[in-house]
Amino acid sequence: MAASSGQVKASLFVTCIIDQFYPEVGESTVRVLQRLGVELDFPQAQTCCGQPAFNAGFWSDAKPLARRVLDHFQHSEYVVVPSGSCATMIRIYYPELFHDEPESLQKARSLAERTFELSEFIVDVLGIADVGHLIGDAAQSDMQKVTYHESCHLRRELGATTQSRALINSLPNVELVEMDQAEVCCGFGGTFSVKYPEISGAMLQDKLDRIGSTGASSVVACDCSCLMQIGGGLEKAGSGVQSVHLAKLLDDAIGQKPRANG
Amino acid sequence: MQSRIKQFPQLSSEALANDQIQKNLLGLYDGFHKARISASEATPNWDELSDRGRAIKEHTIENLDYYLEMVERTVTAAGGKVFFAKDAAEANKYVVDIAKVRGVKLVIKGKSMVSEEMGLNHELEKAGIEPVETDLGEYIIQLADETPFHIIAPAIHKSKEEVSDLFQEKLGTPRMTEITDLAMEARRQLRSKFINADMGITGANFIVAETGTVALVTNEGNGRMSSSMPKLHIAITGMEKVVPSIEDLGIMLRLLIRSATGQRISSYVTTITGPRKDDDEDGPEEFHLVLVDNGRSKLLADPAMRESLYCLRCGACLNACPVYRKVGGHAYGWVYPGPIGAIVSPMLTGLSDGKDLPYASSLCGACKEACPVKINIPRMLLYMRHQLAEGDNYPEHKSAPFGEAMTFKLWRFALSSSMGLRVFGGMARILQKLVAKDGRITKLPPPLSNWSKLRTFPALASKPFRSRWKG
Amino acid sequence: MDSKEFIANVRRSLGREVGAPPPAPPDDTYLALSNQQVESKAQAISRDLEANADEYMALLEKSAEGAGWRVARCKTASEAANHILSIVRDMEATSVLFSGHSALDDLHLDAALSGTGVQLEAMVLDDDSDKKAQRDDFRLKVINADIGITGVDYAVAETGTAVLLAQKGVSRVVSLLPPVHIAVVEKGQVLPSLDELFTLRRKEFLNDNLGSYMNLISGPSRSADIEYQIVTGVHGPGEVHMVLIG
Repeated sequence: MAASSGQVKASLFVTCIIDQFYPEVGESTVRVLQRLGVELDFPQAQTCCGQPAFNAGFWSDAKPLARRVLDHFQHSEYVVVPSGSCATMIRIYYPELFHDEPESLQKARSLAERTFELSEFIVDVLGIADVGHLIGDAAQSDMQKVTYHESCHLRRELGATTQSRALINSLPNVELVEMDQAEVCCGFGGTFSVKYPEISGAMLQDKLDRIGSTGASSVVACDCSCLMQIGGGLEKAGSGVQSVHLAKLLDDAIGQKPRANG
Repeated sequence: MQSRIKQFPQLSSEALANDQIQKNLLGLYDGFHKARISASEATPNWDELSDRGRAIKEHTIENLDYYLEMVERTVTAAGGKVFFAKDAAEANKYVVDIAKVRGVKLVIKGKSMVSEEMGLNHELEKAGIEPVETDLGEYIIQLADETPFHIIAPAIHKSKEEVSDLFQEKLGTPRMTEITDLAMEARRQLRSKFINADMGITGANFIVAETGTVALVTNEGNGRMSSSMPKLHIAITGMEKVVPSIEDLGIMLRLLIRSATGQRISSYVTTITGPRKDDDEDGPEEFHLVLVDNGRSKLLADPAMRESLYCLRCGACLNACPVYRKVGGHAYGWVYPGPIGAIVSPMLTGLSDGKDLPYASSLCGACKEACPVKINIPRMLLYMRHQLAEGDNYPEHKSAPFGEAMTFKLWRFALSSSMGLRVFGGMARILQKLVAKDGRITKLPPPLSNWSKLRTFPALASKPFRSRWKG
Repeated sequence: MDSKEFIANVRRSLGREVGAPPPAPPDDTYLALSNQQVESKAQAISRDLEANADEYMALLEKSAEGAGWRVARCKTASEAANHILSIVRDMEATSVLFSGHSALDDLHLDAALSGTGVQLEAMVLDDDSDKKAQRDDFRLKVINADIGITGVDYAVAETGTAVLLAQKGVSRVVSLLPPVHIAVVEKGQVLPSLDELFTLRRKEFLNDNLGSYMNLISGPSRSADIEYQIVTGVHGPGEVHMVLIG
């Protein structure tokens, strides 16, 4: 596959949650991919993949949003998504959503083949599992202990469990300590978190306890929805543990310095 | 059994507040869940086995009419009788009528979830017949007048102290502190029932169409007792439990047992083909098989829901489910708890009554990952949510709150263009100044205020990513 | 409900015309095999059993132990009989019932257990006497017996299983009601896995010889229903011995 000096062209589907709430994660994603030699574009017309409406059962509201994605990304060679759940929506659920609309179904199947979550894209498409050698002297820093939360869709719909861990493990100044039950859901689940807050909260508390037991200073994940749940819980509990998206962890290590925007 | 699926919010809340239930639920992950994973890893080609098991069930369900006809022929040829019950009432009537005609006074029961659906014990009691549950867990919940908490271990929510208290109250036994003693007491109590019962009722884990054989998977021996000691044996199960050939059993038994408890095989697997033969030393003189529909044809008729009928009732999805592990079986309000219950209970007892069940899930997919026949439960939960929200195929069950429907209409409208996103995003950024501080929101307004009990929320970033992008 | 009506409803639910002919099983199901093919498979299994008897016996020894049997490997029938004698003595058993499996004939149990004072009886119906009276009598005896001894029809190495078919001379409950069960397995009876067992049973079915009842016994009776703690001997035997001869 393409080495870091190759010119892989990809479009960024940044996801509405990153766009609006965690834009710095989007910036980190851009810097990391550019550092790895990807020629990246950002179709400005993008908004949302439609997952919230789809998950709530309002498929007639999800479909127009999905069709926009099909249209705006139909010419992209690759689509990179820094979110397991949004990548799942596009790759797994768009073909289901349009199963009885032949034209959209064809576009959905085509797009599915070209759409990857960020860690999948770096490891499986770019062929880079070790980013440690890309770390410049300026970026050397103290050892940090991190733990990793496995996002549900990333694991169970996309089948991606090894790529993110490989990338984290390749960073020399990062020690990855696995938490117990890393693969167990954090309790977000979209509207589940507000419709069934007690259950969601109980699941979150378990996750926070397990993070705490590792002694890690950060918890890393590939989905901002999980990080919103976990980070929100950590902050409310007054914990000093940081919640960090994989893109940011990688950016801190290998991203282009100085920063692109003022 | 009466359905309380409407009460999920209240029942789940109670379960979360119950220390004993929470304590006992903790044992599921390290116990059954991990045991299943170990057993599957120790089985060569588990994934392939799983695919074959699914293929067997898919083929059978797609041709269920053909195989049910075969079952009727072959069980009859073996000297048994088959009764097809449209619903619980018909099934109850058949069993009670036979019992009455044969002068049955005492019935011993092996575990049968379908008989719980039917409320059979209650009907037998009404007819003056004493039904005694013989599976240890079922025996305990029968004494406690409760419903099963888990498909495989119905009384797993009870502490040994609670069981001791129960025995003291109902059986007059002294206080017992050892679990072995409690189990031996149950053995003692049930011994005379086994010996004196007029009729044995069991479920059936599989029905082999080719040979007219019922397969029973047990560990205690009560299934063997119930099908050997009394003169009359009735097996009751759902019509979907059929497999085509006896050669399919090796695959299906491995999938079921290793997924249920992690055992390589259960202590007993018993296959029953009709009543005893003339030459046999012992065994029932009469055998009946009751196959129950009770709404299963509704699942069959909906291609999107049909694969729920592949279920082996192993309980693996319960053990894997982070929601079940928090709220336990009683919260689900009917016979079948956990992810499979979230699908089956509303479809069998009232979709809009059970409207919480498809939503009380984070869609994490652990159930799908655990299922030995790869049933895609999350997909069916999404489909049920869609029916509740928009009612395409079940217009009578459309029941989404107006506010929620409007929210998503607004969402769609706002996000239908990047301009719309900028405009609405801009408005939201102004409004949030009321609640945001240092980029965080500690108290979200209703209807999102539930979030804030345990979590802070991020404020919308002042400059979204799309404004920062330099092409 | 009338079976035709019930099945018609199923057919309609599947989206098929009620009057349409039923589908045939596709090629990749076991039902598509001809009787001849099943017979061939069964013969191949029998040849394999003979050829690999030692290996399967060794595998069974391990898997049976893992399943909770107390396993004894004996070279000869008389060694096996002595082992059974020691079990009887240790238990201070007073009544023992045994099945009509031919494997037990060579053990000469009556001789082996003479002098122990044990009441030993074959739980086998005599064709010439009143069957009902015998059945009632045996029922009482088996309820009160200390030990039930049987041979096996097959054993399964994969799972540590003794397979007992109910048949003339073999009661369903002689291996269930007494608190101790001893199963005697001869070399050449051991199948490698469950699949071979069910193929052989299928062959029997096609030869009209399936029988009414089969038990796969893989260890003692157990339950984990109270707080996940495993308890043995809940309804079936709590102590099971497998005696391997050869």
